[in-house]
Amino acid sequence: MRVVIAEDLALLREGLVAVLRENDIDVVAQAQDGPGLLRAIAGHDPDLAIVDVRLPPTFSDEGILAAIEARRRSPALGVLVLSQYVETAYASELIGDGGAGIGYLLKERVGDVRAFLDAMHRVADGGTVLDRQVVSEMLAPRAGSRDALEALTEREREVLALMAEGRSNTAIADALVVTPGAVEKHITSIFGKLNLPACGDDNRRVLAVLAYLS
Amino acid sequence: MDERVRLSGDVSLNRGRGRRWMPALAAGLSIGEYARSVERRLAILAAVILIVIWALAGQGYLWPAWAWLGLGVVMLVESAAGWAWRRPPGAVRRVACVWAAIGVASVILLATWLLTDLLAGARDFWPTWALFGLVSAGCAYSLIALHDRVLVARGRRALRARIEMLTRTRRQALDAQAAELRRIERDLHDGAQARLVALTLQLGRAEMRVADQPEVAGLIHDAQREARHAIAELRDLARGIVPPLLADRGLTAAVESLAARYGLGTSVESSVDRQLAPAVQSAAYFVIAEALTNTAKHASAQHSWVSIGERDRALIVRVGDDGRGGADPQGSGISGLRARVEALDGHLRLLSPAGEGTLLEVSLPCGW
Repeated sequence: MRVVIAEDLALLREGLVAVLRENDIDVVAQAQDGPGLLRAIAGHDPDLAIVDVRLPPTFSDEGILAAIEARRRSPALGVLVLSQYVETAYASELIGDGGAGIGYLLKERVGDVRAFLDAMHRVADGGTVLDRQVVSEMLAPRAGSRDALEALTEREREVLALMAEGRSNTAIADALVVTPGAVEKHITSIFGKLNLPACGDDNRRVLAVLAYLS
Repeated sequence: MDERVRLSGDVSLNRGRGRRWMPALAAGLSIGEYARSVERRLAILAAVILIVIWALAGQGYLWPAWAWLGLGVVMLVESAAGWAWRRPPGAVRRVACVWAAIGVASVILLATWLLTDLLAGARDFWPTWALFGLVSAGCAYSLIALHDRVLVARGRRALRARIEMLTRTRRQALDAQAAELRRIERDLHDGAQARLVALTLQLGRAEMRVADQPEVAGLIHDAQREARHAIAELRDLARGIVPPLLADRGLTAAVESLAARYGLGTSVESSVDRQLAPAVQSAAYFVIAEALTNTAKHASAQHSWVSIGERDRALIVRVGDDGRGGADPQGSGISGLRARVEALDGHLRLLSPAGEGTLLEVSLPCGW
């Protein structure tokens, strides 16, 4: 897998590069700001871009804007956005851009190297990965039109959260220590309660859930 | 003025008579002006009649001069009083009245001396000391009366300058404080938090290398968990100082996100999309956050709403709900908000009649 990284803090950038190289991932370019990222993508045609939200010059949301622009220029590119904090507003913007091949994770998730590598592969393959903190905020009880979420059982909410994180049925079954068949049942029930059209494809399913939540 | 308008009205109703008998009124003069013009004519007429009588009576001692003096003094008093009365009320008018009186008295003295000198042949200039006394008394009175006024004016000017200085420096202090908080928040992100992330990354690499030694891997895993907790705590701390969305996207975006998080079905309406001063922006945000927290905790509301707008160079924030009302305007939460708002020269108003919902309105000057 060919990867470009946009991160302005050298400490983190170098740590990330070291981890990826140890795991046979080809870091083809490193950038320190939004325009640098877009140039690196144009020059190296990577499979995945890993982007920090806060980049120079204003250190606000350049990373989000650069990610959206990068996806507009090369729709097949996977973009994994890393941030010190997560905002559902940013998640919605990234998903609004199309959803497939988008990841949005807290920076500290890189510490769990295996899960991080797994997330990278899923995003590069066109999957969607959202941080569980964003998901839990999206699932927080709300009044009004969100009443349907209240109808879900505790177990169904867990399944929904794991789905939103972009996990496959098998991964959800492993995480909850149940059989894949049980997960399938929960999913059918969730889709029924939320009135969403059922579909087999993992990623389209995630997108349906995210579209509902945001 | 009113008098004149009313009189002109009357005149227009009785136009024929007005024209014939009261030409001055018909020309739009006030009663006072009319009376003065009549008086002047009568005085001139009297003066002429007297001089004619004197001439017919065989001349000799020019006694009508004393009558002329009397007539002149009456008119002088009238114009001096009018002049003094047109001064602004207060010390200035009082001083003008005193000088008008001194002026009239001096004229009487000088004219009397002149007439006695001319008519009776007096030789010395006797009014000197009287005039000197009058003018000295006038000067003394003016000094005392106006000195107070000058002192008060100077005091007021000093006070105003001090208020302006305090307002300006307080504003600068608040802006500096807001900028400092923003810097601390950024330092937390880029400093301590980034280092902790780098630490978890290194621990992750170590964990992968000792995968065959479960005991060591377990220790590393625990260390990583601690680092993650520290990161989460720093994140909460930074969010409490300046919520990242507020710093990055401004008030409207931050409040929309906040409202979504409270899950009260809160609608947010905002007509403000410009960058506000950091101190104003933070105060508005924390007022709304506190108000929504109170709504969620106490109001049992079905709906709540937030509106943000600008009016007369002030940011107007309203937070309302349809809950049970009865919020205490002196409660500690509201008092804290009020202190924060008043520090920015703003105002806070709370309407919370029992059973009729709650409305919190805050205005924050933002023309700077």
